[in-house]
Amino acid sequence: MDLITLLIIDAWFAWIPAVGFAMVFNVPKKMLIYCAVGGAFAHSFRFLLMHFGMPIEWATLATSSSMGFLGLYWSRKHFIPRPVFTVASVIPMIPGSFAFTTVIGIVQLNSGGYSLELIQIVVENGLRTLFILAALSFGLALPSIMIYRGRPIV
Amino acid sequence: MSLSRQAQTELIRVAAKAGQLLHQHGAESRLVEQTTQRIGMALGARSIELSVSPDAIVITSLFDGDCITTTRRCYDRGINMQMVCDVQRICIMAEKKLLDAKQVKERLNRLKPMKYNRWAVVFMIGLACGSFSHFFGGDWQVYITTFFASAAAMTIRQELAHRHHSPLVNFAIAAFVATSIASLGVVYEFGEKPEIALAASVLLLVPGFPLINAVSDMLKGHISMGIARWVFASLLTLSVSVGIVASMTLTGVVAWIG
Repeated sequence: MDLITLLIIDAWFAWIPAVGFAMVFNVPKKMLIYCAVGGAFAHSFRFLLMHFGMPIEWATLATSSSMGFLGLYWSRKHFIPRPVFTVASVIPMIPGSFAFTTVIGIVQLNSGGYSLELIQIVVENGLRTLFILAALSFGLALPSIMIYRGRPIV
Repeated sequence: MSLSRQAQTELIRVAAKAGQLLHQHGAESRLVEQTTQRIGMALGARSIELSVSPDAIVITSLFDGDCITTTRRCYDRGINMQMVCDVQRICIMAEKKLLDAKQVKERLNRLKPMKYNRWAVVFMIGLACGSFSHFFGGDWQVYITTFFASAAAMTIRQELAHRHHSPLVNFAIAAFVATSIASLGVVYEFGEKPEIALAASVLLLVPGFPLINAVSDMLKGHISMGIARWVFASLLTLSVSVGIVASMTLTGVVAWIG
């Protein structure tokens, strides 16, 4: 399949979790559409960057910082705090299964005893979780760390 | 502008209420701090100092050398962005002098957390985890397994939360149920790679919001708040994993690692 089709399929499957989790966080109804657009944009943009060989951590950082600035624009337009849009939009990119794999590995280390294979799983997945998560939050916080620096955004 | 002692007491109560609402509904610390200060200043205080800690806020208003300090305990009421938006809107209206102290108080007291229809949430979360299974490379059979496993887990999560069970117990039980249903797909070999459903169906239990809040709190200088949120999110992750492992031990379907 060509790249455009893959991107569209990716964007289609990414807006669903963004809206689903936005509903769990009780984002106001009118703002759900922004979460959907943000989720679709963020995940497909990261897909594009990774398609061209960028490592997942840097692709996540680039995506989440552009999402941070998009959230800045929306937030100043609607007078709504940024996390309302931005957190739901990056939810599809949260390293959930890496995190669970890490902790399951730790639990199994306890029950099954030390093994090189398990340690490798724990360390690799744990580090990946940490770095992706740090990239996500740092990217989202970039506007308020670099530009606004303590001043309120809305 | 002058404030009587009584007016200043009233002002600090209003500001504390706003801060408490924000804190209880999952706003990050910077937002709690800024918005509370802005409401206090808009209502006439010279300055507002506040200390945000994981389960309480302490807030002091200053006017003409007169300090009033008050503390509010903040119990977790669950993440609710609509409440955060409403408090922010009230803050902006107070700053534009559209509301006085009494009206701000009235509006803050009138706020009610909006909740989506629970079955709509269950349905959307089922689809959401289904989408995750697609990202992991699952086919439509795996999508169906994931949908039912995570929808069941979400129903249980809502039921237990409604009955005020500890989130840790709640998440462990929900993970147990999701994994048990998803492992049915592995047992009956439903779809190409049915073990994908095991990983995808528990993703509704990832504490994403607390984790992102934790890192952004730490980035913005609220280290102790960040650590507290991080520890809580890690405990939730641990209890989800214990639920998964318990289910895998019971059903004998160990397809996650390896």
